Amino acid sequence: MAATAETVKELEKKQEWWWAAEKKRSRRLDYLRKAMWKKGAIGGLYPAGLQIDLERPVMQTEKAKELESSADPYVIKFAKMLAHVLDNKTIFITDRSQLVGYLGSAPNMITWDPTLAAILNHEVFNDPDSLPQPLDESLKVIRDVTNYWGGKSDLDKILPHMDLGDVMKVLSGAIGWGVPLGRGGYSGKDYEYIMTGVRAFEDIIEELDRRIDEADARSHRFDASREISDLIDKINNWEAMKITLEAGIRHARRYARLARIIAENFESDAVRREELVRVAETCERVPAKPPRTLQESLQYDLFIQLFSRNEAIEGAWPARPDFYHGPYYERDVNIRKTLTREEALDLVGEFLIRAAEVSQYKPKWAREGLQGIEGTWVWTLGGVKKDGSDACNGMTIALLQAARLVRVANPTFAFRWHPKVSDEVMRECFECIRQGLGYPSMRNDPVLVANAMHWHGHPIEEARLWVHQACMSPSPATKHGFQPMRMANATANCAKIIEYVFTSGYDHVVNLQIGAETPPVETLETYEQFFDAWVTQMKTIFTILVRPVNRARILAPKLTPRPFLSAVSERSVESGLDVLEPSISRGNAWITAFTWVENIDSLAAVKKLVFEEKKYTMAELKEALLNNWEGREEMRLDFVRNAPKWGNDDDYVDSIMLDCLKAASEFSHEIKCPSGNNWPILPENVSGNIHYANIVGALPNGRRLGDALYDGGISPGPGLDKKGPTAVLKSCSKIDHVTNGRAFLLNQRLSPTQLSGEKGYQLWKTYMKTWADLGIDHVQFNCVSDETLRSAQRDPEKYQEVIVRVAGYSAHFVDISRKTQDNIIQRTVQGL
Amino acid sequence: MKCTECGFEAPVEKFRYLYNARIDAPISIRQCTQCQAWIAVDELKGVATQKVGPGEAPWGKSAGIEGLAEDVRGRS
Repeated sequence: MAATAETVKELEKKQEWWWAAEKKRSRRLDYLRKAMWKKGAIGGLYPAGLQIDLERPVMQTEKAKELESSADPYVIKFAKMLAHVLDNKTIFITDRSQLVGYLGSAPNMITWDPTLAAILNHEVFNDPDSLPQPLDESLKVIRDVTNYWGGKSDLDKILPHMDLGDVMKVLSGAIGWGVPLGRGGYSGKDYEYIMTGVRAFEDIIEELDRRIDEADARSHRFDASREISDLIDKINNWEAMKITLEAGIRHARRYARLARIIAENFESDAVRREELVRVAETCERVPAKPPRTLQESLQYDLFIQLFSRNEAIEGAWPARPDFYHGPYYERDVNIRKTLTREEALDLVGEFLIRAAEVSQYKPKWAREGLQGIEGTWVWTLGGVKKDGSDACNGMTIALLQAARLVRVANPTFAFRWHPKVSDEVMRECFECIRQGLGYPSMRNDPVLVANAMHWHGHPIEEARLWVHQACMSPSPATKHGFQPMRMANATANCAKIIEYVFTSGYDHVVNLQIGAETPPVETLETYEQFFDAWVTQMKTIFTILVRPVNRARILAPKLTPRPFLSAVSERSVESGLDVLEPSISRGNAWITAFTWVENIDSLAAVKKLVFEEKKYTMAELKEALLNNWEGREEMRLDFVRNAPKWGNDDDYVDSIMLDCLKAASEFSHEIKCPSGNNWPILPENVSGNIHYANIVGALPNGRRLGDALYDGGISPGPGLDKKGPTAVLKSCSKIDHVTNGRAFLLNQRLSPTQLSGEKGYQLWKTYMKTWADLGIDHVQFNCVSDETLRSAQRDPEKYQEVIVRVAGYSAHFVDISRKTQDNIIQRTVQGL
Repeated sequence: MKCTECGFEAPVEKFRYLYNARIDAPISIRQCTQCQAWIAVDELKGVATQKVGPGEAPWGKSAGIEGLAEDVRGRS
């Protein structure tokens, strides 16, 4: 712990922001922050003390068995299972908290959903480090649950309807990430329907009742048609939605009852007693009725998020908390003055903590790819309103200030910059960056609004309401714009594109023909032929990844419905169709392009050293790569040092980037999602650059099998951008950030020394102006010195709270692997 | 090549390749199959130079503006 004698000022001067935050935050926030169990995996393993929660799987299984002989359709059975969990799961209220709700039965529990995939259940069985003691009893429970769901889980149901060749290639783990499931992935929400204060659960139930009655009457008239027949399915869907909403209201009232019991029988402190009564009143109000205060609004949001995560495994948390909670903040703090700023900060800080502790059991590949965090909770701040005016408000500032006090790595923020953002708000963003949070990432709103209109045809008023669906991809939180799912397996490990050019599509790591059988690379006589082979491999990989996702999306409404998410989505309440039904969605798909820039640097190296200078033959290079550059260090260094590298404002290699993006974006218009919309690419990495380090073979850019890949998006290779920050920006600005892809991640590392004081802010602001003027859609910063990071490696206990930006997310430095740590440290520190 | 920790001798490729933290430098990290130590290897010379402990970076500083981003004192 920090020496208590040191003042906040002294700690801030030493840039030990984490100790300063501990002293600056309220006693309540300090307690709640320390009472929180971090859930992110360290490297790929859950930290000691966390346990897999067996309560919920047992409940789901017992209910499923009970319903086996019921005549209910699956969607109703599923809704009843969810209701059973919400009605019976253990609940608790953390001391000093004002917001309630957690997925598990205790704060250190990670929930496991056995209904999702048998392969996930087997992974639980084989993960004894995270199982509750006594182990034998836990294994018995898991065995019974796993045996029951074998053949009945979502994945088991979907697989027989898929192209198994595609599935095998995806599940090999070589080219993509994840499994095609409707109840797994990144679920957007129709915030315009549910979070504007116009309606809440009781209003929707009323609407559902009306629709059920109308449909029932219509279906029993003297008439018969396809439409009448379809009404039966719709009535079932509406009934299922209603079951989940009613369960949600009952669940909240269980908290109200618990809070009152504690207040009336156990709490001796009068102030806390009052707080508990307020918690009870809040949970009696929401989610049944629309919120009236900031506390109710935050609690309402939290309930919705938790119910949704009781229904599915959600790997992201698309949100725009300042936009939707802002009016309540304004009313309570500035108009009615029922809350002081400090009290509001406590609530907002606690909201971040409640989100940070949310956890769902994930397979190891997901934990490795998202080291240190639970999922990509990238919350959107700033931006514009539907009419184009500035949307920033007091809540924007409160969130940025609260983030610096609680210093959680997840959720992180992404800020929608636009020309009307005030200097006050920009300073708050800068302060978070300067204090080493790694967030907010900065997004160029005018560019991304145009991009949303270009790629997916969102009308401008909807495009302006976009939120981050995961780390990077914008998606409007509107009736037809939001995406109910986005499975991670439309994530391409793009370094395989260039690798497969050298192996004619054969993957030597997983020993499988995955790519296209392009001609042997040594027979390619020109760079143009070589590039054509690259395009063929790119199209092959993208297609293999997209096909199963499309298929799963088409199958999802019937096989893996989401009645709760449907219930809070206008398009489903209106139509009676499950929210996963593609025909009622505009479509907002994208291919995440992991490990993209390796292609550019590799193509440039081959073009220069093999085709132009003829320093090496293609056969020689192919052999060196197959042997992982072993014994060819001089040659390897030649390919690193004497070939142009992306990020140095060098047209030779930058034009190759544009060629690759042109080919990919043209293909993006050819492949379509089930809603009939495009599949643009989106280069970014999370920590896939480490996950894939042992999966991607040696490449012509000079990496070996085992080396971390570049940190992603359009970020230059660590240490390879040698001409300064402006050259990086100039390279990036050659890309058309509207038409070449959906978004482009750019990591930059800045010096904390240089950013200190007012001068630091002015330097950064000038940099940001250049960034904005050049039309680049994204940039994010690491601002922690080598010295601090190396010290954290030496003495991790002392530096538990140091946060770094990994890729599209932040993590505590001590929670990521040594390889990832070194990869971050090696990023070029840009001088502004 | 000889392990700096336990003295185990074998050709370079017999030491398990872990990673190269800095792609433009010839210093990689390999693991001795005998004592499991992580060792820094000069791939050009085929020589193990030191054990790599926590916080150590035998490949040197991160690129960029030297003097502002202070590296581990006394290194490189």
